[in-house]
Amino acid sequence: MAKRLLGGIRDRTAIAGVGYTSFSKDSGVSTLTLACEAILAALDDAGLTPDDVDGLATHRVGDSAPPSTVGPALGLPAPSWYLDQFGGGSVSHSVIAQAALAVAAGMADVVVCYRAINARSEFRMGRAANPAPEAAFQAPYGYVAPAQMYAMYARAHMTKYGTQPEHFGAIAVTERAAAAKNPRALMRTPITLDDYLASRWIAEPFRLLDCCLETDGACAVVVTTTERARDLPHPPVLITAAAFGGGSHPFDGPDMTVSAAAELSPRLYSMAGLGPADVDVAQIYDCFTYSVVVQFEDYGFCAKGEGGLYAASGSAVPYNTHGGFLSEGYVHGINHIAEAVSQLRGDAGDRQVPGAEVALSTAQPGYVLAATSALILRKDT
Amino acid sequence: MSDRDSAGWRSAVANGDFVIQQCSTCDTRRFPPREFCSVCHSRTWQWQPVEPTGTIESWIVDHTFAPGTTIVMVRLTNAPTCVMYGRWLAETAPSAGQTAHAVFTDDALIDWH
Ligand SMILES: [Zn+2]
Repeated sequence: MAKRLLGGIRDRTAIAGVGYTSFSKDSGVSTLTLACEAILAALDDAGLTPDDVDGLATHRVGDSAPPSTVGPALGLPAPSWYLDQFGGGSVSHSVIAQAALAVAAGMADVVVCYRAINARSEFRMGRAANPAPEAAFQAPYGYVAPAQMYAMYARAHMTKYGTQPEHFGAIAVTERAAAAKNPRALMRTPITLDDYLASRWIAEPFRLLDCCLETDGACAVVVTTTERARDLPHPPVLITAAAFGGGSHPFDGPDMTVSAAAELSPRLYSMAGLGPADVDVAQIYDCFTYSVVVQFEDYGFCAKGEGGLYAASGSAVPYNTHGGFLSEGYVHGINHIAEAVSQLRGDAGDRQVPGAEVALSTAQPGYVLAATSALILRKDT
Repeated sequence: MSDRDSAGWRSAVANGDFVIQQCSTCDTRRFPPREFCSVCHSRTWQWQPVEPTGTIESWIVDHTFAPGTTIVMVRLTNAPTCVMYGRWLAETAPSAGQTAHAVFTDDALIDWH
């Protein structure tokens, strides 16, 4: 049976605005306040006001203000579509996909998608209880944290394909160099491979610099029809393809070195009518360095097993141009989407990828929960 | 730490039995315990004793959440679709493909050496 999920809405919706709070280790305010600040900033960027908004969407794991609280807090006059999705990074991009679906179907005209977290000062994701039922068979052994799980998968990849610590290190160094050009980024001091190798162990084979930051902050993006977006101040960034799901196997399935993204990516590219060779800039979910390695493979940028070599080659597609979660900050996926928008608008300043027309942005690749999501965004030409 | 799907397995381990589920309809072996067979969707199953050995698929050495603990991922010899986690008790570090033997703990868990 042909998979045509969302294929019918190719380019029918667009991202018209992005907004951020500042990123920090202690925002000093509630997630509700963070959400409102990012949403108002995104609307201002889009040339819209709260009166224009009829939909709000987020994802959370019990750690943030829901749309049904944020809507009244902003005095939205006509909320008609709320999405409050349970889940972490793996669903981060499906929130935008579902907003696009709602807008394309006429359920809403202007949907603001947001993620607001105090992930350092209030709710530390890395120390949160694993919500999956599998935890009953893992947690009693001290196997509790995403850092451990990704370290386990990284080791399997190292064993099977000879991936080296230096490959992971190259990703950390590359993303820090990108962050140095990003005024929003929390970690802007360049690092070397030696700094990476000298950083302390978290869970071998992962060192501190393999792991993303824990961040307080929020980010929001405005989704509307492409038609309406063309009347707004910024050039529209088209939502060309959106996919979620994948992951027919549990996360300790037959091959530890393959993520749910391998099942999702053919569907995503098919919806876009594009392939990895068409992607000018990639924002790859980088909860840990290894997640970049496995996604370069599973999104088809290189052969299986060569993701580390590819990432470290210096000739990889420009990736995580904002510094990623490793160095810009961790807003659970939506800051990758916002950076892709900036690159396609051509307003990324010192870190602009010249002539970027097509961007891939991806979610947690389905290792922690066996599903993922991703977007292909395109400049309106 | 136990839930309604895991309680039966935990009881078996407490009795010193190394078991996994086996579908009574299509013989597919599965772990962790699940009521429905993901292959044939039957909910008729039994606890199947299997050899308490496996091969090391991967491992980590934790320095943060359970400092000093080596945690292994083990694929069972007689049920290669089944993976278990546990602490590694041997003196030497594990290596990929190495045979691991189950150890029943006093608190009804499975470790490996
Ligand atoms: Zn069956």
